[in-house]
Amino acid sequence: MRAGTAFFAGLGSAAIIAVGWQAGVGTLVSSLPQSQAAASGTTTTAASGTAGTGADEWGNVPTDPLTTPAADAPAAPAAATGGVTNGTFDGAVINTRYGAQQVQVVVAGGKLTDVVVLQTQTADRKSQQISSRANPILREEALTAQSAKIANVSGATYTSQSYMQSLQSALDAAGFTG
Amino acid sequence: MSVHAFETMGTMVSIRIADTALSERDAQAAVTAVEQECGRLNEKFSLYRDDSELSQIARGELTLANSSDDMRTEYARALEWREKTDGAFTPHRPDGVIDLNGTIKAVAIDSAAQILTQAGFQNFSVNVGGDLTTSGDQSPEEQGWITGIVDPADRAVMLAAVRVTAEFPAMATSGTSERGEHIWARPETTTDFVQATVMAGDIITADVLATAIISGGQATLDQITQNFAVAVLTVAPDGALQANARFQELVAR
Repeated sequence: MRAGTAFFAGLGSAAIIAVGWQAGVGTLVSSLPQSQAAASGTTTTAASGTAGTGADEWGNVPTDPLTTPAADAPAAPAAATGGVTNGTFDGAVINTRYGAQQVQVVVAGGKLTDVVVLQTQTADRKSQQISSRANPILREEALTAQSAKIANVSGATYTSQSYMQSLQSALDAAGFTG
Repeated sequence: MSVHAFETMGTMVSIRIADTALSERDAQAAVTAVEQECGRLNEKFSLYRDDSELSQIARGELTLANSSDDMRTEYARALEWREKTDGAFTPHRPDGVIDLNGTIKAVAIDSAAQILTQAGFQNFSVNVGGDLTTSGDQSPEEQGWITGIVDPADRAVMLAAVRVTAEFPAMATSGTSERGEHIWARPETTTDFVQATVMAGDIITADVLATAIISGGQATLDQITQNFAVAVLTVAPDGALQANARFQELVAR
């Protein structure tokens, strides 16, 4: 839910989209408290509250279906029929401060059943900063090459003495032939 | 593949040459030239040698202004890196003595690679005490140079294996697990990491940034992954690993 705030904030036309969304999928409106802030034209909320969590550390957009208002496509057919139209709808590509984003929503049986992020790319410096961060990884992720032909070993500097106990000396002694 | 190992600068150099076009005699000549260059740098910049130029400066017998061009060039280079890392890397010991150990080993690796390249070799690695640079491929079947990263908790175990290629041909690892690292800590230096590995476009960048991460901790790590094109793996005291996305992509599979 909190993800919505920053998303709106980076988006000048968010209010219109949000309103269209409300018209099209009325049952979801009550779950969208942030849309009120966006509808009132607030564009400075990025720095307040939970705005900083609008994208995760990798720069991805929020994917919570109830707080992803970017898909304006379903609003149009919905408005034309006065009800909810089933189908798959692609949202417009929208430039946010975390890069260009696009979502696809799936409406089935009159209900929103899925939201798929179609497009995420880092665009500005801020998103590069987010996506370039070092993040925790597991040892298994780091070492997947048990059978790889390791030619060298890197480690904190060994002295001439400790070299003798090093993996590097073992590789050297074996005259590595990989 | 030929392997050549020799001792210099208080550590060991391991050179691997994968070129088959050139003879073993050509390789031996190039390795000898590398050995001489390492010896020259050691004689000038080692603080372990009383007769080195840097030791003379440390004792106040020689001023920087009157020192050799090499000395002033390397000191300027180290100061530049102090700027680029916001002081996390510094060429000064706490007592004020200039210590260029943080860059000279990398300079030696860089020079060694140039010597080998000029001798006509295209596929080789130069590993000095656990920091290395590479060129080409380790074999026709294996692109780049697969390189293991030591676990600081057990140096007989590897934490990761990555493919070192032309994008980031150099890799350096700094840590607190062995002496001789010459990481001159600022008073506020952290204990965030016990080991940092940096892959970069050149060995001097890799070596300096690995040192800076150990010295400056998480804040410096964040700054470096943001501002430099590098792949990074760090190890916290509890063994927890952190890596940026590029590093994970380079894990050898």
